[in-house]
Amino acid sequence: MDFKLTEEQELIRKNMREFAEKHVDPIAVEIDEESRHPAELFKKLADNDWMGMPIPVEYGGAGSDYLTHIIAVEELSRSCASTGFTVSIHVGIAEMLILLFGNEDQKKKYLTPLAKGQNLGAFVLTEPGAGTDIMAATTTAVLDGNDYVVNGAKTFTSNGPTGGTYLVFAWTDKAAGRKGMSAFIIPRETPGMKAGEHFKKMGLRSSQTSEILFKDCRVPKENLLGKPGDGMAMAMAGFDNGRIGIAAQSLGILQAALDESIRYAKQRVQFGQPIARQQAISWMIANMATDLAAARFLTYNAAWLKDQKQPFSKEASMAKLFASEKAMEHTIKAVQIQGGYGYCKGAKVERLMRDAKITEIYEGTSEAQRMVISGNVLR
Amino acid sequence: MPTIITCFKWVVDESYIRQGTAGELDFSVVDYRISDYDRNAIEEAMRLKAIYGGEVLALTAGVPEATKSIKDALSRGPDRAFFAVDPSFGGLEPAQTAALLAAVVKAHITPYDLILCGEGSGDLYAQQVGPRLAEHLGIPSISFVQKVDIQEGKVIAERRVEEGIEVVAATLPALVTVLPDINVPRIPGVKDTLMASKKPVLSLKKEDLPPIPEPYLQTLEMKTAKLSRACEKFGSDDAEINRFLNALRKKAAI
Repeated sequence: MDFKLTEEQELIRKNMREFAEKHVDPIAVEIDEESRHPAELFKKLADNDWMGMPIPVEYGGAGSDYLTHIIAVEELSRSCASTGFTVSIHVGIAEMLILLFGNEDQKKKYLTPLAKGQNLGAFVLTEPGAGTDIMAATTTAVLDGNDYVVNGAKTFTSNGPTGGTYLVFAWTDKAAGRKGMSAFIIPRETPGMKAGEHFKKMGLRSSQTSEILFKDCRVPKENLLGKPGDGMAMAMAGFDNGRIGIAAQSLGILQAALDESIRYAKQRVQFGQPIARQQAISWMIANMATDLAAARFLTYNAAWLKDQKQPFSKEASMAKLFASEKAMEHTIKAVQIQGGYGYCKGAKVERLMRDAKITEIYEGTSEAQRMVISGNVLR
Repeated sequence: MPTIITCFKWVVDESYIRQGTAGELDFSVVDYRISDYDRNAIEEAMRLKAIYGGEVLALTAGVPEATKSIKDALSRGPDRAFFAVDPSFGGLEPAQTAALLAAVVKAHITPYDLILCGEGSGDLYAQQVGPRLAEHLGIPSISFVQKVDIQEGKVIAERRVEEGIEVVAATLPALVTVLPDINVPRIPGVKDTLMASKKPVLSLKKEDLPPIPEPYLQTLEMKTAKLSRACEKFGSDDAEINRFLNALRKKAAI
């Protein structure tokens, strides 16, 4: 077994770290407090090819493997989990779905500008009554001449208010069950589609989240992604790719929690010595470092399997489940280590703890991951 | 169109150096990076190429494990690289490095127009390789440069000297060592990094090069420095503020 990253992967990690320290760290507190989308930052990310890393060069990407993209998401999330996530869902779900299932025209027209970072992609699946239970969705797309007419309401759409290219899931044949859902590429300005106001959230505040409403929204037939009825399978494939990204985001949060804990424990003096010398603290940090290492192996392994074109669905769920739950567990510890200081606004660990919670919820809750994993191992 | 050579050194990233319990330096988990000012030299070469065209060649000497340094340098824009490589080329002294680089330039990169180096390396900061290399090649050397241009076969350089700025010109070929404020080095894009390994690299082994001088110095020991800080508390009333001012005057701080 060879656990060594390539020299290119090591260099790209360092370049992303340098980028994040220079451009992300200085604004991370502010964009969290103001719940603001930093459009200027995404322009810079695009200039360095970070908005379409694993997309082939002919479609505007950088042509890297998936693992390299995952490493970049991890490093970016170490500075700001919102920014890391926005890149992750843009690349890992929106771009990957068009790459995997789009036809040549769709790749040229929609994937290329996404990969160049000219607009943001959004994955529009969840509905007010359909979270983990996707089958409970009610949004429909009815063929009328050369258009599909979409009606319904979606919610919790990441990049909803700021997106340019929406991948929308709707029933084209509800009676066909799992084979009755289809996916459509809908550009922002399409009449009949409206993004709502950005939600105020506990964490992940600069990632923009909203409802998306459809009222007689006419979508040309050529914007159907894949074949009619393939929507559910595509959504699952999207999740498989995206979940490795959420695992990477969780790694970034965990690494930042560890960095912050080590820094603080070495300099905070109580009872005449740095608190790092207290076993209660040093063991918390030991557990944090160990779980981070384990989560990283799970995550990189899932990405590596994808790059090797091997099945990776179960591994992606395991990585996402473990990394996200450990991120939550250890960011609580990181706040504990910093005590009152860690509980105050402006302390990085306070933001990390709020940001960590969402990783256990979106792109499949921890419970949904356990359903996927148990379904795989109990076969 | 000019041929510009930009020299760089692969140095220990000091953020990875740890302090052992007995005060010794622990290099066991260090990583390396291109020395900071050399990044400025590479960036300046690319800036000049963007204006005048031509070719930028990256040049270094190092150990075989330093292949990552070549990719790092090439991801910053240079067209080709020259790598004097041998297991014994780690921890070279400036005189040795300059001799090696000069040998590569003479044998493989002549003619050239301009050589750009960082003012000093991130580890030793001896500020010697540039001037020594110029001496080997018999060309003018301009140090402490914060602005550089090429005009009609000459290099025009702004040198930051103690009390001001000196503008000098020298006939090409010439060597310039740059200060960090000459530019802001780029962060390479993903494509630049992935394409770097596709650029040509000429590796030159020890046996392909003339012998280099023996080192003048021998490192016997390396340990952490201890800074003794004078801690003195001052109050906030007039007398105390005066005492504070006198203390600063005594240390010639004001």
